[in-house]
Amino acid sequence: MPLVGTLDVSSQAASAPLVLEPNTEPWELPGAGHLQLMFEIDDAHMVDLLPPALHPTIPPTLLINVLRVPESSVGPFTLAEARIGCRSGGRPRAFLAQAHCDSEAACAELRSRWGYPVTQAEVVLDQQHYQVVARVTYAGKLLLECSLEGPEAINGADIQYLPNMNLARMMRDGAEVVRLIQVDADYAISKADRGRPTAKVFEPSGWAVADALPQWPVSASFATGTVTLPRVRYLANPSLSPLKAVEAL
Amino acid sequence: MKFGIFFEISVPRPWEAETEYKVYQNCLEQVRVADELGFDQVWAVEHHFLEEYSHCSAPEIFLTAAAMQTKNIRIGHGIVVCVPEINNPIKIAERTATMDLISGGRLEVGTGRSATWTELGGFGVDPDQTKKTWDEFVRILPKMWTQERFGYEGQAFSMPKRAILPKPLQKPHPPMWVAVTSPGTEIDAADRGLGSLGLTFGGFKEQETKVAEYRRRIKYCNPVGDFVNEQVNTVNFLFCHPDNETGVKTGLRLAGTFNYLAEQLLAARQAYPTRSYPNLGLLPALRREASAPGTDGGAPEGTCIGDPERIVSVLKNWESVGVDRVNFLLNAVETVPQEEVLDSLRLFASEVMPKFASGPARVAAGAGAI
Repeated sequence: MPLVGTLDVSSQAASAPLVLEPNTEPWELPGAGHLQLMFEIDDAHMVDLLPPALHPTIPPTLLINVLRVPESSVGPFTLAEARIGCRSGGRPRAFLAQAHCDSEAACAELRSRWGYPVTQAEVVLDQQHYQVVARVTYAGKLLLECSLEGPEAINGADIQYLPNMNLARMMRDGAEVVRLIQVDADYAISKADRGRPTAKVFEPSGWAVADALPQWPVSASFATGTVTLPRVRYLANPSLSPLKAVEAL
Repeated sequence: MKFGIFFEISVPRPWEAETEYKVYQNCLEQVRVADELGFDQVWAVEHHFLEEYSHCSAPEIFLTAAAMQTKNIRIGHGIVVCVPEINNPIKIAERTATMDLISGGRLEVGTGRSATWTELGGFGVDPDQTKKTWDEFVRILPKMWTQERFGYEGQAFSMPKRAILPKPLQKPHPPMWVAVTSPGTEIDAADRGLGSLGLTFGGFKEQETKVAEYRRRIKYCNPVGDFVNEQVNTVNFLFCHPDNETGVKTGLRLAGTFNYLAEQLLAARQAYPTRSYPNLGLLPALRREASAPGTDGGAPEGTCIGDPERIVSVLKNWESVGVDRVNFLLNAVETVPQEEVLDSLRLFASEVMPKFASGPARVAAGAGAI
């Protein structure tokens, strides 16, 4: 049997977002720019960053995603996420450890509808012709400075985005429970580049990933297009084994 | 139709002192029994770093041991990963020739390029380059085997003229194959005159189309070797039991376990956006088909699990599709006890194998001659 996570989510559950109604409408975000960086992390954190419902990838991976949204129902916003690559049963997924967003209104939407563990912070995504840089600053402290270097055009279909698994509190059958919400966003990509990933600054304490650092660069991509956050279809009980955890809505 | 066995050598956790030893010994015993029962070939993959899924990183050594413990079964070294960071082509030519000599001319050579980031990243391989390096390797290997001295200036690899020794026993050289998993790779196989080492976990219809296209194109190929190896070789699961329900139940457990492990792998495409790995290939879907209940709620239509009667019926269908050889995966992380695996092999050999004539392979004259 593959390895499974050992993260005890009970301590995080108290502060996890509360999603009252999982049957939310999709949220279309046109003209978005999406930076995705992947790094390998130390195998010391292979299992302790994931709940028992998820298998780690081998090698263990950290995904940094930064989404700049120029227009939405709550106005423009930029969202940065740190995710741990994993499997839900046999399916490729990414466990969202922590997110930061520069818009209070967007934070409220993301928390209440899809269970994003997101705090308001200064998030900047700067696309240049020779690099794409992202920075996240919280309470005056730089939490992230990362980039895609040397962009070269690729087919957007060659990029794979992993659905999120967001830890949230939910109401199920009249009782509050803790669940992982699967957020399998849809990406309609009009233009894409790939390049070399760098992470000059990554402050693990700001991303709820213990002391896991981006250790070995794997890939970087930047795509523009429409991102649609979906209607929620699946949940997983974080404390159950991967084969028993998933429940369909 | 010919039958063989196929090893990933998957090792279950917890890994205790003798876990790997036991699994390797079980696999070798299965090879010996298969040889005695008249199975035609044994294949072992080359994988690196794939925890539990495959601990078969030195298949040439496992297969040499297999050759030493058997008399007739052909030795399938494949697939050999044809990227220079993992295998220098000189070393491939040397070790395969040695294996052919030691096995008495029983070697078959499968080629491929690896499909996981776990492996490619571990060796520092640029995923963009693997299809190109594979294509160079399959063209130079036959020359290394057959030319007295060989020199080459290429993109992935260059060398001044040297005598690459020893030479294979089979003349002009062992049959060559390529792993066919991604859509379109059967065309690569056909265009180069290589055998198609495919995976028939799925249903018959889609395979029939692929086999027909392979047969059509290979007629006009530019063979990379000294002969055309027109053969369709496939992989399937095997669990044969006198009681169909028991056979299906155990077979589904075997297939489901294997597929679950396979889905844990970090595919190259999932980690690195590249045209070289445009999609995950048919493998995930086919694997899911192989472990999903069939239309009647029983075994999937193309999977060789159940009683001998059902397996004969499945294999007759594969034969009609145009498949020449079927290799069976017998176990996954020891989910089936060794005695049951051996009983399954014996029952297959006594009840299923006689229903299939072992006719001449579709290989050009001179191939594999000693």
